[in-house]
Amino acid sequence: MLSIKNLHANIEGKEILKGINLEVNAGEVHAIMGPNGSGKSSLASVLAGRENYEVTEGEVWLDGKNLLDMKPEERAREGVFLAFQYPVEIPGVSNINFLKTALSEIRTHRNLPQLSAKEFLKMTREKQELVEFEAKLANRSLNQGFSGGEKKRNEVFQLAMLEPKLSILDETDSGLDIDALRIVSSGINKLRSPENAFVLITHYQRLLEYIVPDFVHVLYNGQIVKSGNKDLALELEEKGYDWLKEQFHGNAALNEQ
Amino acid sequence: MKKLSKSPLYQQLVDAYNQRNSDGNAAQEREQAFTAFVEKGFPSNRDEDWKFTNIAPFLADDYSFELQEPAAAVLENTVQQARIPGLDSYTLVLVNGKINGTLSILPDASCFKLQQLSEVSDVNYFNTYKSEHVGAGNRMLALNTALFNEGYLLEVPASIVWDKPLHVIQLFAGEQNLFIQNRNVLVMGRFSGLEVIESVISLKDGRKLFVNNVTQVKVAEQASLIQYQIQHNQAEDRLIDFLEVVQEKNSRYDHFSFNLPGAELIRNNLEIVLNGSATETHLMGLYLVGDHQLTDNHTAIHHLFPNCDSNEIYKGVLLGKGKAVFNGKVFVERPAQKTNAFQQNNNLLLSDKAQVFAKPQLEIFADDVKCSHGCTVGQFDPESLFYLRSRGIGEDSARKLLVEAFMFDVTQRITNEPVKEYVQSLIYEKMENSFADTNTSVYG
Ligand SMILES: Nc1ncnc2c1ncn2[C@@H]1O[C@H](COP(=O)(O)OP(=O)(O)O)[C@@H](O)[C@H]1O
Ligand SMILES: [Mg+2]
Repeated sequence: MLSIKNLHANIEGKEILKGINLEVNAGEVHAIMGPNGSGKSSLASVLAGRENYEVTEGEVWLDGKNLLDMKPEERAREGVFLAFQYPVEIPGVSNINFLKTALSEIRTHRNLPQLSAKEFLKMTREKQELVEFEAKLANRSLNQGFSGGEKKRNEVFQLAMLEPKLSILDETDSGLDIDALRIVSSGINKLRSPENAFVLITHYQRLLEYIVPDFVHVLYNGQIVKSGNKDLALELEEKGYDWLKEQFHGNAALNEQ
Repeated sequence: MKKLSKSPLYQQLVDAYNQRNSDGNAAQEREQAFTAFVEKGFPSNRDEDWKFTNIAPFLADDYSFELQEPAAAVLENTVQQARIPGLDSYTLVLVNGKINGTLSILPDASCFKLQQLSEVSDVNYFNTYKSEHVGAGNRMLALNTALFNEGYLLEVPASIVWDKPLHVIQLFAGEQNLFIQNRNVLVMGRFSGLEVIESVISLKDGRKLFVNNVTQVKVAEQASLIQYQIQHNQAEDRLIDFLEVVQEKNSRYDHFSFNLPGAELIRNNLEIVLNGSATETHLMGLYLVGDHQLTDNHTAIHHLFPNCDSNEIYKGVLLGKGKAVFNGKVFVERPAQKTNAFQQNNNLLLSDKAQVFAKPQLEIFADDVKCSHGCTVGQFDPESLFYLRSRGIGEDSARKLLVEAFMFDVTQRITNEPVKEYVQSLIYEKMENSFADTNTSVYG
């Protein structure tokens, strides 16, 4: 489904992604872990099309289509969804109007019929239940007055509404207490299907106890330095990242000799 | 003086005044106003209040004072088009300042007293309705005072609350470029209530229309008035509007000013005089300024008595080479203790060629007051834009949502739903036409 080949990207002239390679197939869950500042959010941003990143090298394909050629909205319509690490508040844009507009433009692109007001409300209710997101949305501005946890859950709710192929969740678990984490994870598990795929960016192994990944990757200094199965997450939890850093820098030192 | 007399319009106006008063019996107020205008001529950039708004280019055209009443069918059609979809209202139609009885729909005669201002003698007018701002300081007002002769005088008797809003449609028509000076008077009796929507429409096939209009409003004790001013004009229209509102104690006044493309020049002066205690005033403005437009709002609120609340929010969206001026004065005089005065002006620049000149001006002479003001000039927040687009919302729709959000402080206060929808749809229509230019210039 997603194929990233030797992806390099800069921000403000500084290279952040330094040759990422990643293959994600339909039905899979990939976890990306790694210390702060290693480039996880940058990778998510480049995939979603954030314009302040400049791709300098490499390719990204989504089901045979060149993702890097598309505008952010086109990527979303093609089925890419990014759950933001820091969802923005937009006072004055109503949650409902926002969702309606998004869904309508996505459905137009996917050649699906538009939903009637009634169908839309029904779907909203069902998806809210599915991800156990109880916040009142009507007559409220987008994310405004939402707690940190509510904002994260709103991201998962939007994910449920927009039914993407590829979901990238950027630290959706951080800032959630254990109950919220369980609720969010069970929502995501319900949304999993053989047709879609998830990339979970996380710091903590605990999320992966609820959503069991098929692959775990460690991103460090703009590169995937190690990949494995779910046991790698456990190993990281036990040993931290220092051993990896040492090994990485050791290798780099060797390479330079 | 020599320089000013070069403007043909200036000489035409002087001639018109002299002709009008050939019997030498002009009211003292007209005479004084005329002298003030003659001495200094039209306002120029040297005047503090006109620093950023140069009207000279708009005065250079040839203007006529000759009005022409269009055919009945044309009028009817125009009034039909001017109606606001879904708005159930009474209608007062004025053609070149003259009340048109055929096209107006008004409530029962007990609800109002309506007169043609030209039928009220100068003596009566100046004794009863004279403006608080006689106009020496504002020469466009002075010019109007010297020369106005048409307009309406509408009085709502005490304790009468209209069951429907009133849509005032003013049509102007002539065979040449027109220079028009009308004066309207609206008097709200004690405990009365009314909601007025005002539209100004020109019927001139590409000829120019310069309107120097003055409206005087009096809101008596316990009365309430909501006024919507919708300026949705053609490029050839130049609108200079002076609105003075005098509020007596415990009254409430709400003003909404919607300045939409595309008149080349809009200059609104709003003077609110709080002439009693415990009044409530809301001034809400939305200006959408398109390419090559100049929109200038000068407002002043005079707090003279204790316990009055005023709340002002003006929001502007600028496109292309649009230029906006906002000047908000709030005067809190010494007796006006316990005043609450709030003012906010926000500007959203959607083009790097647009310009805003904003100046809040608070002058406070009382000590026990709560006053605040804020002024911002900004662009779309790129984070918000990206968030919306990352959900599949196209760039234009995303901008539209953000403009809607930007204007929300004002639009949420429009209690009249059809008016709200009408204004919003006009805004979106105008914006869509302009996005083609802004897409490349801001987020290329
Ligand atoms: N807008 C920006 N301008 C400059 N540097 C940035 C910007 N955003 C992120 N970075 C840098 O990119 C690197 C990777 O950041 P990020 O992708 O947020 O890492 P992670 O999500 O793994 O913590 C960091 O060194 C960070 O300082
Ligand atoms: Mg991050």
